[in-house]
Amino acid sequence: MDTETTRADIAMLLSSGLKTEAWPRAETSADVNKIVGRLQVEAADDLEKKLIVAGFTDYTVEADEIEQPCETCMYYQVHAKFCELPELMLPVEPEWSCRLWRI
Amino acid sequence: MANLLWLQGGACSGNTMSFLNAEEPSACDLVTDFGINVLWQPSLGLELGDQVKEIVEKCISGEIKLDIFVFEGTVINAPNGTGEWNRFCGRPMKDWVKELCEVADFVVAIGDCATYGGIPATAPNPSESVGLQFLKRDKGGALGEGFTAKSGLPVINIPGCPAHPDWVTQILVAVATGRAGDLTLDEFHRPKTFFSSFTQTGCTRNMHFAYKVSTTAFGQRKGCLFYDLGCRGPMTHSPCNRILWNRHSSKTRAGMPCLGCTEPEFPFFDLAPGTVFKTQTVMGVPKDMPEGVDKKGYIKLTAAAKGAAPAWAEEDIFVV
Repeated sequence: MDTETTRADIAMLLSSGLKTEAWPRAETSADVNKIVGRLQVEAADDLEKKLIVAGFTDYTVEADEIEQPCETCMYYQVHAKFCELPELMLPVEPEWSCRLWRI
Repeated sequence: MANLLWLQGGACSGNTMSFLNAEEPSACDLVTDFGINVLWQPSLGLELGDQVKEIVEKCISGEIKLDIFVFEGTVINAPNGTGEWNRFCGRPMKDWVKELCEVADFVVAIGDCATYGGIPATAPNPSESVGLQFLKRDKGGALGEGFTAKSGLPVINIPGCPAHPDWVTQILVAVATGRAGDLTLDEFHRPKTFFSSFTQTGCTRNMHFAYKVSTTAFGQRKGCLFYDLGCRGPMTHSPCNRILWNRHSSKTRAGMPCLGCTEPEFPFFDLAPGTVFKTQTVMGVPKDMPEGVDKKGYIKLTAAAKGAAPAWAEEDIFVV
């Protein structure tokens, strides 16, 4: 499946009300490690499960008075509009958000 | 001619191994070109047992003038402050160290263990290890905060795990050739000539740092190691990317995050699980910022830099 199709599929899943674990955000590094561990074990190549465990939203979430859009995240490739976190590796939109956001 | 004695306490010999690889100048150059007389060194000395003891005792008595005393490894105080866990020539090493430091013109601590306690002094510190004049950031150590050698200088600290060989030999040459007055030390007694700039200074990944492109796995040549893999290059004082290792590389150039081994707190976070090779964050923002940068400024800069990143910054330009 090409990235544009995958991005469109993700957009549809999120807009149609897929319940993801957007909260609580990963506050500490230990929280991040737990979620990444779950992605490795529970999600693997399952797109929907990845979105749920990572807590994807199709809008920007603000936590601790900081906006957390994909476009400022370290894993985000600006030109490819792609999340490079090895456990995700997903095409995304800049205004989306997930709880593994890091700057 | 300057007499040099080198002893080891709670050490892995890593700094001796590093020293033997020195090139500018080499360990041999110290003897042939710069007039250093190595009285004894654990890996170079031919003397054994009582012969070593005799050399050390003569240094303490003044029969042999001790110009430079080099110490590698921690000063071990266990058990219960006795130092008996690290005996040398019939008595605790810590007692030898104290007496040798009293008679030496210069005392040089080599490596993170001798300077600040390093890995052996990590909590719970079962060997009750301390550095010569520090325990991590706290002044004191084995010799006390007010200690100065006969030259008037405190312990000269050359940290690192190990210290770069040329840092060691260049400082020894400066001391042995009467240029110790040119050395200025920072608050942790590190020679400023080596420890004012950062590990990041000269790093080949700086353009990725600037455009906020992260390395996401070991072995990648693109991306900065600070954002995800726990690199401490932006807040560690060392010339690792100016005075290269083996003359051609460094940890960060080879894809290995800087561990901050020239800083007193090394190893960071007491080596708690999940803290090594992983950038520690609070709500997605690094706990430890590049030196001098505050959280607000960092977030603003990152958003702007990320938005300005050119396409090539996200590609592996090293593979064609």
